[in-house]
Amino acid sequence: MAAIEVQGLEREFKGGVKAVQGIDLAVGEGEIYAFLGPNGAGKTTTVRMLTTLLRPTGGRALVAGHDVAKEAAAVRRQIGVALQEAALDPLMSGHELMRLQATLHGLPRAEGRRRADALVERVGLGYAKDRRVGTYSGGMRRRLDLGMALVHEPRVLFLDEPTTGLDPSSRAAIWDEVRRLNDEGTTVFLTTQYLEEADQLADRVGIIDDGRMAIEGTPAALKAQVGQPHLDVCLTDGANDHAEGVLARFGEVRPGIEGVHFQVTLAGGAGDIAPVVRALDEAGLAVAQLNLVNPTLDDVFLAETGRHLEGDQDTGEVAALSVESG
Amino acid sequence: MSALALELSTIGVLMRRALNEILRVPGAAIPGILAPSLFMLGLTGAFGALTELTGFSTESYISFILPVSLMQAAGFAGAATGVNTVRDIELGWFDRLYLAPTPRPALLAGIVLSAGFRALLPMTAVLTIGLLLGAQWPGVSGLLIAVLLALTFSAVSASWTVGLALRFRTQAAAPLMQASMFMAVLFTTSYAPLELLTGWLQTVASINPVTQVVEGVRQGFVEGVSFTGTWPALVVLAVLLGLTFAFALRGLAKTGR
Amino acid sequence: MRAELRAIGALGLRSIRNTFRYPRYLGPILVFPTLFLAVNTGGAGGAIDLPGFPEVHGFLDFQLAAGILQASLLAAVMGGTGLALDIELGFTDRLLAAPIRRPTIVLGRLAATFVLGMFAAVWFLAIGFAFGAIVKGGVLGVIFVILFGGLTATAFGGIASAIALKSGTASVVQGMFPLVFVILFVSSAFFPAELMQEPSQTIAHYNPVSLVAAGIRGPVVFGLSASDTLDGLLGLAIIGGLGFVLSAWGLRARLRAS
Repeated sequence: MAAIEVQGLEREFKGGVKAVQGIDLAVGEGEIYAFLGPNGAGKTTTVRMLTTLLRPTGGRALVAGHDVAKEAAAVRRQIGVALQEAALDPLMSGHELMRLQATLHGLPRAEGRRRADALVERVGLGYAKDRRVGTYSGGMRRRLDLGMALVHEPRVLFLDEPTTGLDPSSRAAIWDEVRRLNDEGTTVFLTTQYLEEADQLADRVGIIDDGRMAIEGTPAALKAQVGQPHLDVCLTDGANDHAEGVLARFGEVRPGIEGVHFQVTLAGGAGDIAPVVRALDEAGLAVAQLNLVNPTLDDVFLAETGRHLEGDQDTGEVAALSVESG
Repeated sequence: MSALALELSTIGVLMRRALNEILRVPGAAIPGILAPSLFMLGLTGAFGALTELTGFSTESYISFILPVSLMQAAGFAGAATGVNTVRDIELGWFDRLYLAPTPRPALLAGIVLSAGFRALLPMTAVLTIGLLLGAQWPGVSGLLIAVLLALTFSAVSASWTVGLALRFRTQAAAPLMQASMFMAVLFTTSYAPLELLTGWLQTVASINPVTQVVEGVRQGFVEGVSFTGTWPALVVLAVLLGLTFAFALRGLAKTGR
Repeated sequence: MRAELRAIGALGLRSIRNTFRYPRYLGPILVFPTLFLAVNTGGAGGAIDLPGFPEVHGFLDFQLAAGILQASLLAAVMGGTGLALDIELGFTDRLLAAPIRRPTIVLGRLAATFVLGMFAAVWFLAIGFAFGAIVKGGVLGVIFVILFGGLTATAFGGIASAIALKSGTASVVQGMFPLVFVILFVSSAFFPAELMQEPSQTIAHYNPVSLVAAGIRGPVVFGLSASDTLDGLLGLAIIGGLGFVLSAWGLRARLRAS
């Protein structure tokens, strides 16, 4: 049985605004599924429907085997949710909030306390558990929010943009925790606008655009669809007439600034970098800079929709290899 | 945990959370205490001579007006519950409650009953000030009846304003919550007995069910308690609580539609 | 001089526009005082039968001054709150960097408060007329009442501005709201001082707001009279003078802090 099954899910708001226009997806047990899309694509609306905060106006969704519209209470017992805004009471301490969450999910007092004690340590907030949440940093709040979502050991965990606004180290901490949870068997449905997050964490990625599913698959398979890595080659000024011929041995060449800049698709992938450098050197061509550019999920989105994902305008992950001319 | 135990513990944690604002935010309780106290003192100073009119049920205006201030304290505590609910909705905290598998009536009961906690402090202040300034001691039974009726009114007020909060989901609804409580309590026999009210207010007060509650709270302070003075207030409160709770519950059920 | 007046006008217009553009700012000034007027009139209307109560056309006529006073004072507090918000948001710094005289910053706000006070007076007069009140002073009496409404708001606006300039925090100014009711309750705004209970009666005799109440009430209830007008102006002079001194001191403190 799939952890999440969605068929033709729709949500129309007052005024005829259709935020979600009939999406289909399925998330297997124990999978990490990243739901990617630009701002306003319908990610949060979809998550709110799957977590029973919003009623679908069309279609059907099953979460942990229960219908989100007809068996909402049963769904809530099986899911943990960390929403886009870490909705926390600033007057309560982290530990108090954990215990409150445990009570709301029906854990007996002793068990709730035990779970709260364990979870504050697990999310790295043991040192601050008795401090009021109003004094916490953004990263601490997100970690507490994540911990609270786990207090009742949910089968499916929904994370709505869990690392937006966090510094790199806080983001890495959240990623580590998500991987650990998944290793323990929790299914994770994650929305994000960060390509790297989806790339790093997800078993499969679904990209939504304008309320519809644009494309779905594993990150590697999606990126392979749009092409292979290419090398940006920048030569020093000089007699470079034969450069295109040299590079053409390794793949398709697209010239840039005449005689100086070239893009070559590497049929053999990153393994062809060293032979390219050797070939250029043997041909007496001096390299100023060499950059390996891998296709990204933004390239996938661009190929599918003709637009970039917002918030990540760089096309390609650039591994800069600065090579000095000899 | 059994279903009943889940509901009771949910109500308990939500009531305890409501106490935080009073205990952990310095000065948060002051406006709730100040408003009804100033009202009682101010009206007594300004309109105290009204007791000289024929037909006034007491010679002590502060005894007459103190019950109104108790009702105000209770009503505004309820209104504050609604305002805080809107804040919780805007900050996303309410989503967290909504995601819990707790039955909705228990969630609502916890929020509504927390108004009673909130009301206790200003009610105690008003009572103390009034008695120190010469209001008639209502006796233990009069006091208990007054407090019970006022606290139940705070639950009515909270149910009403939480219903408004779920309907409008914005802080802009706060004045509506406060004004509706203002009118509910003051458009009654708040200033004078029914026969001495003039014009439209006499008509409105005779129709306003809260008048029965005001009279029920007042009885110990002016005449003395009796069953005939109490049961109309109890009936009115039971009906109002049922209606307003249903209104709020409907708002909760419609959330997310 | 003309440039300064234009600056005062521009700043005043900004405040007025913001108030009327967002009705929720106007609400507190008008809604609660109107409700209070309704309850006072209906609840305590029998007071006109008390021995010693002045001969009046109706209790509503007597209460109109209280409504106007209450709304004017609340308008003053709102003006002070607006000034404090400007300080919090840094808009005042923008004004201080402009080639205008420093007092213009406060005068602009007070100009808007004056207009709001007059608007409040018009509102309550309209309500009074709608429910049967008359103004014995006629058209001139109406003009007097409207002007007094504006001047009352301005006089108290000086005090509110002083608090805003000294604290720089809107919530501190808003803390004045309860004081408005205290000041009014211990004056003859709601009831003749001679019929009030002690100690309110004694306080009312010394409270300058009682003088202002006489100035606003006189044209409505008794017709135009020099003594009521002079009483009102004296009350305004006392309050306005205090407001002037405090706001000058507050402005100096704010400039030192900037």
